[in-house]
Amino acid sequence: MTPSRRHFLMGAAALSAAVATPEMVRAAIAQEVGASWALATADLEGDIAPRAMRLVHGRAPAGLEGTLFRNGPAKFRRAGGSATHWFDGDGLMRSFTMSDGAVTLAARFADTPKRRTETELDAVVTPGFGTAGDGRARVGSPDDASAANTAVMVTGDKVWALWEAGSPLQMDASTLATEQFVTLRDDLKGMPFQAHPRFAPDGTVWNVGMSGDRAIVWHLNHDGSLIDAQVLRLPRASYLHDFTATERHLIFLLQPWVFDHEAMPYSTQFAWKPELGTQVLVVDKADLTSTRTYELPSFSFFHLGDAWAEADGTIRFDVAANRDASFAIEGARVLVAGRGGVPGEPSVLKLVTLRSNGQAEMTSSGVTAEFPKGDPRRAGLERSLTVHVAGERGGRPLPNGLAVQDWKSGRSHAFSFGDDQIMEEAVFVPKPGAAAERDAWLVAPSINLAEGVTELHVFDVASIEGGPVATWRADVALPAGFHGAWRG
Amino acid sequence: MIRTALLAAAALLVAAPALASDPASVALTFDTGASTGAVMVALYDEASYGGGQPVRAARIDVAAGEHSVTFEGLPAGDYGVKAFHDLNGNGRMDTNPFGMPTEPYAFSNNAVGNMGPASWDRAKFAIDGATAQTISIR
Repeated sequence: MTPSRRHFLMGAAALSAAVATPEMVRAAIAQEVGASWALATADLEGDIAPRAMRLVHGRAPAGLEGTLFRNGPAKFRRAGGSATHWFDGDGLMRSFTMSDGAVTLAARFADTPKRRTETELDAVVTPGFGTAGDGRARVGSPDDASAANTAVMVTGDKVWALWEAGSPLQMDASTLATEQFVTLRDDLKGMPFQAHPRFAPDGTVWNVGMSGDRAIVWHLNHDGSLIDAQVLRLPRASYLHDFTATERHLIFLLQPWVFDHEAMPYSTQFAWKPELGTQVLVVDKADLTSTRTYELPSFSFFHLGDAWAEADGTIRFDVAANRDASFAIEGARVLVAGRGGVPGEPSVLKLVTLRSNGQAEMTSSGVTAEFPKGDPRRAGLERSLTVHVAGERGGRPLPNGLAVQDWKSGRSHAFSFGDDQIMEEAVFVPKPGAAAERDAWLVAPSINLAEGVTELHVFDVASIEGGPVATWRADVALPAGFHGAWRG
Repeated sequence: MIRTALLAAAALLVAAPALASDPASVALTFDTGASTGAVMVALYDEASYGGGQPVRAARIDVAAGEHSVTFEGLPAGDYGVKAFHDLNGNGRMDTNPFGMPTEPYAFSNNAVGNMGPASWDRAKFAIDGATAQTISIR
């Protein structure tokens, strides 16, 4: 053949090598013509070394010193196969350290067996919540499947990356280096430790792990050492991502998304059976066999607020409630696909009331909500305020602002950035030495879609409508996180 | 007659039986995480790997400082090893309340299963002559 024709063919071969697999082509298309919010589920290719964030608005409030740790999936796609569900990306532990008015950002991937296997194979092969996986998977135990990507628990100078179906993963709080999976007691090795531990007024910590209709109830000291663990049989084998607690009771909300048959990926085990209604199981912390059940109309949920009991024994807690489980099944898949419409409607913040006479009712705030959080000084105690992300709606499946729901007044106090921002969960940070519920800040990151970078914001709980009192901007965009914890 | 006998004897020597000229063995060394209890090892061929009687089995007394075992006199071929470290010496592989093993277990080739024991395809290795393998069991 002529030299020019040969050169053209070699060029074409080089071109196709650069776009070698359907996976890479799909990712390229998503980047170009995907949804405006696709940055929320983009892939991060490596750790983020500590770097200063730039103050772009306001000033750090005096007395706000500490670190916001957050966890969330940050790697979904590989040349040989990808995660297809938001809950299955590799966990990235983030730290936003605030000191003397300056903020330093760092982030490191949890060095899990799953990530090592999938890096070696350059393919996502591990079955997960929504990702099917394939025959190349290497899963000898639940921890081998862990994405370690959902939440954080601070225990002194360590942070635990929390997931759902396995052990916490211990990481160093300063360097964010991965250490080892945590075994709380030898005979409980590998028992699940879920993503929403509840902090009790007495300083101890309660958590849960599920297997069908059985729950392991964990009771820990604040430093992560085990006090006790007991297995309970629940009245129903519901999908249970979160639970809540008053000072004296544990509360399990049992939605009608129930175990139907063994299957992988995990979410395909469950069937939506609205005719069952939603059950509430209240368990005495001092005697886990002493329980009480309530009935509510059917709804689906992921997240609950801290619960409290009133003088007459009435128990209340809030929930980001949805009509059904379509977000879990399909919505979170769309978010990783980076395009398309999320089905159903966004969750709404509702208040559950459990009365001593056995009656239960729900009241709606009327406000779209997710990631509810409350004042840590009042965890398990009477409170009125819940902060949550807001602004999700049909055409825009991710939040764009925050709101504080005041259950005493019935009012919502909100701030919206508009659709140029993807808002993340806010934590309540009490002002030093202050006792009033409103004497606190809210600290939350966002993804600034216009600038293409992550930002960190501080709001004053008492004046959230005025917008952030300070904003810092990073030089990098981190994919959206799920849950965080503040270490003061 | 003597010549026939000599020829016959020579033929026997040349066509020596498999046992004498093809003695295969495998020395298995276990890299353990703890120094208590014992490693229980079972060696299988393809027919028995899925759930039959092992070709060989042994108890390695880790508490007494042992870490290896050698199985001798094996026909050359493919084999698979399944082992667990009985940390508390109760003779059983202990499990947590949800049925997951709490004691270490391992397979030849340091193979890992796919939501179950390592498959024959992942665990199989050839034993031919004097073979050795180190298996991590932590």
